[in-house]
Amino acid sequence: MIRFTKIATAVALASMSSFTSMAMAADPIKIGVDGPFTGGSSSMGVSMRDGVRLAIEEINKSGGVLGRQLQAVERDDEAKNERGVQIAQELVNKEKVVAVVGYINTGVALASQRFFQEAKIPVMNNVATGSIITKQFDKEPENYVFRNAAHDSIQAPMIVEEAITRRGFKKVAILADSTNYGQLGREDLEKALKAKGVTPVAVEKFNIKDVDMTAQLLKAKEAGAEAVLTYGIGPELAQIANGMTKLGWKVPLIGSWTLSMANYIDNAGPGGEGARMPQTFVQEPTNPKRQSFIISYLKTFNPKNARMDSPVSAAQGYDSVYLLAAAIKQANSTEGPKIKAALEDLKTPVEGVVTTYNKPFTKTDHEAITANIPVFGEVKGGKVVYAYPDDQKKASVVQMKK
Amino acid sequence: MQILTQLIFSGIALGMIYAVIAFGYQLTFATSDTLNFGQGDALMLGALVGLTLVGLGINYWLMIPLVCLFGAFQGAVVERIGVRPAIKIKSEFGWIMSTIALGIIFKNVAENVWGRDDLKFPSPLPESPLKFLGANVLPMEILVVVGAVLMMLAVEVFNRKSIYGKAVVATFNDRDAAKLMGINTGLVITFSYALSSMSAAFAGVLIAPLTLTGATMGAVLGLKAFAVAIIGGLTSGMGIIVGGIILGIAETTTGFYLSTGYKDVPGLVLLLIVLAVRPQGLFGKSAIKKV
Repeated sequence: MIRFTKIATAVALASMSSFTSMAMAADPIKIGVDGPFTGGSSSMGVSMRDGVRLAIEEINKSGGVLGRQLQAVERDDEAKNERGVQIAQELVNKEKVVAVVGYINTGVALASQRFFQEAKIPVMNNVATGSIITKQFDKEPENYVFRNAAHDSIQAPMIVEEAITRRGFKKVAILADSTNYGQLGREDLEKALKAKGVTPVAVEKFNIKDVDMTAQLLKAKEAGAEAVLTYGIGPELAQIANGMTKLGWKVPLIGSWTLSMANYIDNAGPGGEGARMPQTFVQEPTNPKRQSFIISYLKTFNPKNARMDSPVSAAQGYDSVYLLAAAIKQANSTEGPKIKAALEDLKTPVEGVVTTYNKPFTKTDHEAITANIPVFGEVKGGKVVYAYPDDQKKASVVQMKK
Repeated sequence: MQILTQLIFSGIALGMIYAVIAFGYQLTFATSDTLNFGQGDALMLGALVGLTLVGLGINYWLMIPLVCLFGAFQGAVVERIGVRPAIKIKSEFGWIMSTIALGIIFKNVAENVWGRDDLKFPSPLPESPLKFLGANVLPMEILVVVGAVLMMLAVEVFNRKSIYGKAVVATFNDRDAAKLMGINTGLVITFSYALSSMSAAFAGVLIAPLTLTGATMGAVLGLKAFAVAIIGGLTSGMGIIVGGIILGIAETTTGFYLSTGYKDVPGLVLLLIVLAVRPQGLFGKSAIKKV
C-alpha cells in the first residue's frame, strides 16, 4: 500500500511537473534559499543570501535560464534544526522549488536534507562545513546533496599544517566549543595532529555564551602551548582573544574559518589581530571576476566600512547559484534528477568567484572545493587579508579542483 | 601560587558579575516573596539601552543614571502587569509564569529592535590589564567589584536606616500587619520591583564591556545569578556577595584543576547541598511561617 502510494505520488508529481513546464514556460524557476538571517550565525547567513541575490539578479538581467527568470524563495532557519525541517517541507510541498542553496549550520543541514533527498531535489550546500554533510545519503543509489564550501576534513589538516609545519610550533592547545560543530572539528584537529605525530598539550572546552575563559587559557598557558587552535563561532572566539589580552599572554590563534566572522573581529578588537584561518575567498580584487563581484556587492548592499560581514559566505553563495544555473541549462530541464545528473557531469567550466569549476562534481564526489583551493587569511586592521603575500601574488591564477 | 591568585581574582570578578545581577532577585523577594524571573532580560535591556545611548554620543558615566531610570520604569511595568494581579488573588504561582512570559516578550522586542547579533560595548576604562599581586586584572573588573559592593551597602543602609527601608522590611515581615499600620504595601512592592530592575539595568551596563551585549546575553547570566541568590540567601545582601564569590571561584578553579567540561558542576552541586542543608541560604534568615 505504502509502495503504491509512493509510486502514485511519483507519477502524479512527474506528470504535474511536465505539465507545468509545458503549459507555463515563462514561469520563474524557484530556487530555495535557506540560512540563518538572524542570530549568532547571521553574519554568515546574510552574506550568503546577499551573494545569492546578486548572482540571481545578474543571471536574470542577461535573460535568465532556459528563457525563464530565476526566483529566490528565502527562508530564515534561525540556526535551529526544527525550523530547518519546517522550511524544507514548505519548500518541497508548497513552494515546489527546483533546487535549494544555503545552509550555514551543519546541524540544520543534516536535519533538513532528507526531505529534498526524498523529493529528488538537488541541494547545494554553500557554507556549512561538517564533513558528513555530503555523505549523509552515500548508501542510497542517488545522492542529491552537493557542496561548494571547504569541509572540515580539509580545514583541520590545513590548520595543523599552518601551525606545525609552516610556523614550527611544537606545543599547541585546542580550544573548541561544546556544540556539534566544535566537537566534530576538535576530533578532526586531533586526527590531523596525530598524523604529524603531535599530541596537543591541552584540549579544552567552552560553552556558548561563556563570559570567562581564564581557566581554559591558563591551562593552555601552563602546559606551555605556543599556539591555540580553535573551533567555535565568533562571539566566544572573541572572548578567547579578550581573555588572552587580560592574562597578558599572547600566542597566535589559528582556527577554523569562523575566525573571519565580523562578530569575532569587532568584539575582539585589537586583541583579535593576527588570528589566522582557512579562507576560500578574501575580499581583494585579485582578478577581474572577483573585482566586479566585490564592486557590485558593495554597491548593492552597502555594508558597514565597505567590509563584507563574511566574504567567504558571500562568494560561495554567489557561486552556488551559477553552478546550479549551469546545470539547469545543460539539463535543459527543471526536473531534479536531470539537474543532478548535469551537476555530476558539467560539460562547460563555470567561472566563479572562488575558483573556476571545471567538472566540480562526479557521481561519487559531491565536493567542489579541494585542499589546494583555500588559502590562509589573517585578521589585520579590522578585516581579513591574505596571511601570505605569496598567496596574494598567486591569487590571480585561479586554483582549480584537483 | 601565581596561578591560584589569577584563578581566584578571575573567579571573584566573574562572581561579582553574577552578584550584581543576583541583587535584583533579593530586592523583590525582600518585599513581596516573589521573584522576577525576567531579571536576566531586565539586565539585557539595560545594557542595550545603554549601548544605544553611548552610540548617540552620551558619555558612559552620564548614561548610567538614564539607564537606571529606564530600568526603574521597566520594573514598575513588570510589577503592575505581571505580579500585582497574582498577589491580589494570592496566587502561589501566577507571578512565576507572568514574569517569565514578560521576560520572553522583552527578549523578542530586543531582538527586533537591536537584532540578534552580539555587539561590542565600548569600555569606558582602559582595556589593558593591571598587575596586582602577580595576577592580571582588568580595570573594568575592579569597577564591577566596586559597583557590587556599593550596591550592597546602599541597599543595606536603605533598609536599616531610612523610614522607607523600614517600610520595606515591615512589608516583608508581615504584609497584612504593615498594611494595617498605614504602609501602602502595594506601592512598596511596586517600588521594590522598580529598584530591582534598576539594579539589573545598572548591572547590565556595568558588565556589558566584559561580556558582549546582545538580546540573548541575559539567559545564562540570569540563571547563574539565581543560583548565587539561592546559595547566598535571598534575604541577605552580604550573602549575595559571598555567594557570587563562591560560585565564581568554584567555576574557575574547577575549570583549571579538574576539567573545563565540568566547570559548571561544583557550583550547582553546592546549590543542591545548600538547598538540602540550609534552605534559607548561607546567610539567609530563616523565616518562621505561621500557618
